Amino acid sequence: MDNSSNDYHISFFKPTTPQSVANRNMIVWFVCIWAVAIFGFQILLKVLEKPTPEAAYLAFEKVWDKVKNGNASEAELQIFAQSTLSVLGKTTITPNDKSTLDKALSWTVYQLSDPDQKIAVKNGIENLNSISGKIKSISDPQYLEAKNTLINLVSPIIAIDPKEIRAKILPFELVSLPQFILSDTDQEAIAKTMSLYLIHNQSFLTDFKFLGFPFHYFYTAIFLLILFVGLCWFYCVRTDQINAKLNIVD
Amino acid sequence: MKKYILPLFLLLTIPNILNAATAATQLEGDFKVGPAIILIIILSLFVLVGILFRAKDTNDYYAAGRGISKIGSGMAIASNWMSAASFLGMAALMYGSGYHGLSYVVGWTGGYVLLLILMAGQIRKYGKYTAADFIGDRYYSQGLRAVGAIVAILISISYCVGQFKGIGDMFGWILGMPFFYSVILGGGVVLLYTLISGMLGVTKNMQIQYIIIIISFVLPLFILTYKFDYFWLLPPIGYGSVVTDIVNGLPAAETSQLINSLGHDFAIVPSPEFAMPWDPSTGQTFFQWIAIAFSLMIGTAGLPHVIQRFYVVPKARDARWSVVWGLFFICILYWCAPAYAAFGKVLSSNPEIGKLSKDAIVVYTAQLGNINPLITGFLAAGAISAAFSTVSGLLVTGASAFSHDLYVKVLNPQASPKMQLLVARIGTVAMAIIVTGIALLNLGLIAQLVAVAFSLAGCTIFPLFLLGIWWSGSNKQGAIAGLIAGSLVSLFAITYFVAGVKGIKLPYYEFINYWLGAWYFAWIGAPLAIICNIIVSKYTKKTPVEIRKFLIETVHS
Repeated sequence: MDNSSNDYHISFFKPTTPQSVANRNMIVWFVCIWAVAIFGFQILLKVLEKPTPEAAYLAFEKVWDKVKNGNASEAELQIFAQSTLSVLGKTTITPNDKSTLDKALSWTVYQLSDPDQKIAVKNGIENLNSISGKIKSISDPQYLEAKNTLINLVSPIIAIDPKEIRAKILPFELVSLPQFILSDTDQEAIAKTMSLYLIHNQSFLTDFKFLGFPFHYFYTAIFLLILFVGLCWFYCVRTDQINAKLNIVD
Repeated sequence: MKKYILPLFLLLTIPNILNAATAATQLEGDFKVGPAIILIIILSLFVLVGILFRAKDTNDYYAAGRGISKIGSGMAIASNWMSAASFLGMAALMYGSGYHGLSYVVGWTGGYVLLLILMAGQIRKYGKYTAADFIGDRYYSQGLRAVGAIVAILISISYCVGQFKGIGDMFGWILGMPFFYSVILGGGVVLLYTLISGMLGVTKNMQIQYIIIIISFVLPLFILTYKFDYFWLLPPIGYGSVVTDIVNGLPAAETSQLINSLGHDFAIVPSPEFAMPWDPSTGQTFFQWIAIAFSLMIGTAGLPHVIQRFYVVPKARDARWSVVWGLFFICILYWCAPAYAAFGKVLSSNPEIGKLSKDAIVVYTAQLGNINPLITGFLAAGAISAAFSTVSGLLVTGASAFSHDLYVKVLNPQASPKMQLLVARIGTVAMAIIVTGIALLNLGLIAQLVAVAFSLAGCTIFPLFLLGIWWSGSNKQGAIAGLIAGSLVSLFAITYFVAGVKGIKLPYYEFINYWLGAWYFAWIGAPLAIICNIIVSKYTKKTPVEIRKFLIETVHS
């Protein structure tokens, strides 16, 4: 700052008084810490990340070629059905992707069923759909019975425990269609959907746990906010000190 | 310690257990008596405080007589800031997009560091009433003052739209009425309250509102963490294990005793997409994370109603310390908000629940967690308080811009104080009507709608304040150039967004919508506005000496 004449001028980058120099230096430090803490960490996350598949994807990958080619064994079809349920249980799934996997799951269940089971599954789905449209409460006994019947019927077919979370998803994912075939388009959509939902960006920063959190989550959701308050507090203390030193009164 | 608290929790949860098995749609349900009574009591309290501390003249109306302490002002900053977007919107984004939602948490807090170190004290030292006042004075132009006032009004309207949506959602949930009517009713109530109280009442109310907001938000989390067997003494830390459980999956066998209010297990399939950065399944990218955080941060430092809070403290030192207090009070809520998304994720994981409105996930989480309906009602009333406190501040800011900056300073300098107050109130009514109309269009999630206001502020007001304070070389012509550049980017981005929502595909829609998204266009708009301002200022007439002298002798001394 030069206020010795009429040429008053102030510029952040060219301070001329002790106060403005101290202030400028402090601001530069704070902005650097702030920027590195926020953006530096996210860039580090980006640099370190590796596409990491879930266990369900690895299982899917092992059997997918055979399922696609129509030569999968019963156990392989069961693994395929289980892996689709791992995606269908995710709340983020879009209606389109859900529809794709619903079809794949239902196709697999029909492949694994004997003729009697096929009829029973078909009737079970239609019965549940019919009751669902009429009930006012999900604790309706008729509805509960239809739902549990379907769970108990289909769970053994795809080899899952009727009490586990994926079994409880089943009744809402099975669809009843007269004839199931998985077209090339369906197969392409299934592979794409499975990789979309089952492969994630992970690194040691996301795998390491701190106070129960994945570390990167703790850093961003908790630590950064503590840092912001700390930076603000420290800035005010330093400004008060500088002002006291230079006899500046607000 | 649990044994002492168990009876209390039983007391709180017994009424709900009786009604545990309800249809998913009943989460929305009909008229809820308990929450409605709580809402009426809280609103009555606000109006009463508003009447007791009502504005007596324009000085009171605009700047609360500059008699607010730094802690009080910090509480008011926090209350003013903690809107429906903070209360409802952040959890909604994290519920839907996981880690991506944290860009909003970081953006809406990190901006205060910039605001403090670059502006807070200097703004107070400049000693004006409104953002437009500063712009008009610093850039010695009545035209720029008028444009600044119009931009401030547009930002306030844009910000209010998200709040009115939140008010509508919560009024609808409590009163069991359709969104259309709940927005109109909620908008009418907040308008009435603002007209009665003015800013002095608003500031006093904001302190009370802060306490109500924070208690209503944190209390259910203590209960949730306790009930579902997490570290409940400090919920912002306790929910960390919920996040890890979501990532790894929570088998039903491990939580067989824990169920939600609909009887579903507290279980979830492995869902790493909730916590992993920019997960492909969320459709959000690294660029968007960075752009949103950056835009929200610079938007924070450019929001007229936030800047205006620094005019109501007695000294520059108080302005600085009020930011520290304000940010601390804000962070208490922001540390907790992701916990609602995490619990909501597990509690709503059964497909039988169906699609829940993301913007109401905070309340649904409390409901699904089988928390006493009165506490859930208090939570909803807290959400309404959060929206009210922000809307009041915004309407006062918009009315100030309309009355003080446009009417008095540009159109009718001889206006009497009574006339000024009348015009301010007419401006408030007009804004509320416009906001209600836009809110009814239901253009997006609360937090996203609010983020538009931040980008708008980041492209227009932020560059003017930043350069106006820190570089005396920035002159009127530079300010006009910067404002034009920032406004054009804003106009472009918002036009593409609205067209997209209405199903109109403009040329290069995908490209523009990605790189100039409505929630984050300030990432490019703000730097562009600053560059234009600097270049034009360099090649045009210098800033008048009296302004440069004022900057040195008053603002930076």
